[in-house]
Amino acid sequence: MSPGSAAGAPRVPVEERLFSLVLALLATDTGLTKNEILSTVQGYRQRYDHGGNNANLERQFERDKDDIRDLGVPLETVESPAESGNQNLRYRIPRGRYELPSDITFSAEETAILGLAAMVWREGSLSTESRRALVKLRALGGTSDEPVLGYAPTLRVRDSAFEPLRTALDKHHVVRFAYLKPGELESRVRTVIPLALVQHQGRWHLAAEETGTGAQRTFLLRRIVGQVAATGEIFDPRADDAPTRALRELEQVWSSHTAVVEVELESDAATRLLKRRGTVTAPSGALELHYSDLNIIADELAAFGPEVLVLSPAELRDAVVSRLALMARNHREDTRD
Amino acid sequence: MIRRPPTLQATDKLAFLLSLVPWLIDRAQVSVADTAKHFGMTEQQIREAVMLIAVSGIPGETQQYQDGDLFDIAWDRFEDDDEIVLTHLVAIDDSPRFSGREAAALIAGLQYLSALPENADRGAIDSLMAKLARGASTRPSEMAVEAGETDAALALIREAVATGVQVEFDYVNSRGDREHRHADPLRIESVDTDWYLRAWCHLRGAVRIFRLDRVSALTLTLLPIEFSAGDVPLPDELFEGSADDLFVTVEVTLAAVSLIADYIPDDAERITVGDRVRTSVRVSHFHALKRLVAGLPGMVTVVEPPEARRTVAEWAAAGAARYGIGPG
Repeated sequence: MSPGSAAGAPRVPVEERLFSLVLALLATDTGLTKNEILSTVQGYRQRYDHGGNNANLERQFERDKDDIRDLGVPLETVESPAESGNQNLRYRIPRGRYELPSDITFSAEETAILGLAAMVWREGSLSTESRRALVKLRALGGTSDEPVLGYAPTLRVRDSAFEPLRTALDKHHVVRFAYLKPGELESRVRTVIPLALVQHQGRWHLAAEETGTGAQRTFLLRRIVGQVAATGEIFDPRADDAPTRALRELEQVWSSHTAVVEVELESDAATRLLKRRGTVTAPSGALELHYSDLNIIADELAAFGPEVLVLSPAELRDAVVSRLALMARNHREDTRD
Repeated sequence: MIRRPPTLQATDKLAFLLSLVPWLIDRAQVSVADTAKHFGMTEQQIREAVMLIAVSGIPGETQQYQDGDLFDIAWDRFEDDDEIVLTHLVAIDDSPRFSGREAAALIAGLQYLSALPENADRGAIDSLMAKLARGASTRPSEMAVEAGETDAALALIREAVATGVQVEFDYVNSRGDREHRHADPLRIESVDTDWYLRAWCHLRGAVRIFRLDRVSALTLTLLPIEFSAGDVPLPDELFEGSADDLFVTVEVTLAAVSLIADYIPDDAERITVGDRVRTSVRVSHFHALKRLVAGLPGMVTVVEPPEARRTVAEWAAAGAARYGIGPG
């Protein structure tokens, strides 16, 4: 940050400048012009050059507006009908859209559950945002029930594509990324309108619409290679509930795929696969499992080594056999360098 | 799973200031200590925030931040008794709304936790999620997490803790051995779709972690527990190292490094060779290793020691043999 034109003025901490800006914009009904803000609000006024060039300060104001809006503060721009032009834009924070509706309260039980919900995220933007949400929740003064049983839940977001996709979703940016389908040697570049990020069976998926064809596609985040880039195009937000629809479709795919496997009695595979959601024991004693993606279930079943024998489908059987054979080959005595 | 006290960015501090003011307004007077406790912050952080609020306000008619345009506090009470009393208010009356992204983070967290017995009342959780969405200033991000199924084991474990009795169950470890255990439940932990019970194990006489999907025939006993969560220090890390751990050198594809990150010690060397990284992983025994490596076929190869390579090779060969594929 450059010190601006009024170098040498006492430095106002960033949070004091932001706080003063929010207070000033909450207190005005008609709104303040940019010049009024820069010349009078604490943190700006110290650096304001009357009659001079305030380009640095203006850029600062633009960044501050973004930061404040990111906190959920509805900073509005209003244009007075009598005047027009950029210099006559006015800024304000309408109280009704700023304040939490007064009928929204949270019981001690709800506060406890929300505390756990926030704890789920340990990293990235979701962690920062849930912590901030808890601070706002505490502003309401509610207490939290002491839980009977302690919990330490964690949901991870390890896919590097997650954060840029979430930003694109919120800002309605069309994105471009390279995607590697299993079984293909080369990744292919996709340009899509992101519709929802959903986590199904422990993996993050992007539901999206291809810009060229309008076709709906679901992408597994871990198969996105390299960077996710915004194309610069903006799309109109959709009215429907895209996350619910995406989860429903993933669930349909999952239940339509069935694998039949034999498991060694009393083995780790027997215990764990039986506990897998939706597993049914056939009269023969074989287990019927559901899965979303052949390559992923093949990895999971290969981990059980000899404890599992895949009976069907044939493609899954082949996929597991080739994994076990590859692993045996890679670890043979004579392949060691 | 390390929970460090969060370092606050300027925007976090702003969110805190906007939350602290209405909370103070609702209280005629409150101690710095109680405020710190309520917000989970240090007393010094609270004092700094109060001092900032006390000199803040609006430019006002004169555009000079005159006294009447600023917040004020009872300074003597603050300086002498560490008590906060707001004596003049400006601009703020009520708590701020959540941002759309904040609401989305909590809603997705709630969806993930729907397996907990506390959340068995789906109607109550749905109305809580609707309340978060309504309390947000913009539409929550288009994001969702598959709802977990209510788990009967979790409800039993919770009941055991509430009544102070031990649980008993069969447990198959990664070697494939089945043992009957008695345990005092301490905490339920999870990573993504995997759920764990951390408990005092009476068979081992120590705190142990059990994967819930390896637990079977779980029942309550009539035996009182010997330890509860407050009696035993519980680690912050789900996978903590032990002095008996074995170190194994592996080669991992770049894409798979994050998938085994939990097993790579912090100080492990990582040498990139082409599209692979040579590093080391820490495992409790080679049987845990063989399952880890076999779940990432072709992505992880064990380099040494020879016994580790052999354990993996035998596991894979035994698996392949079930399909009639012999060595060669």
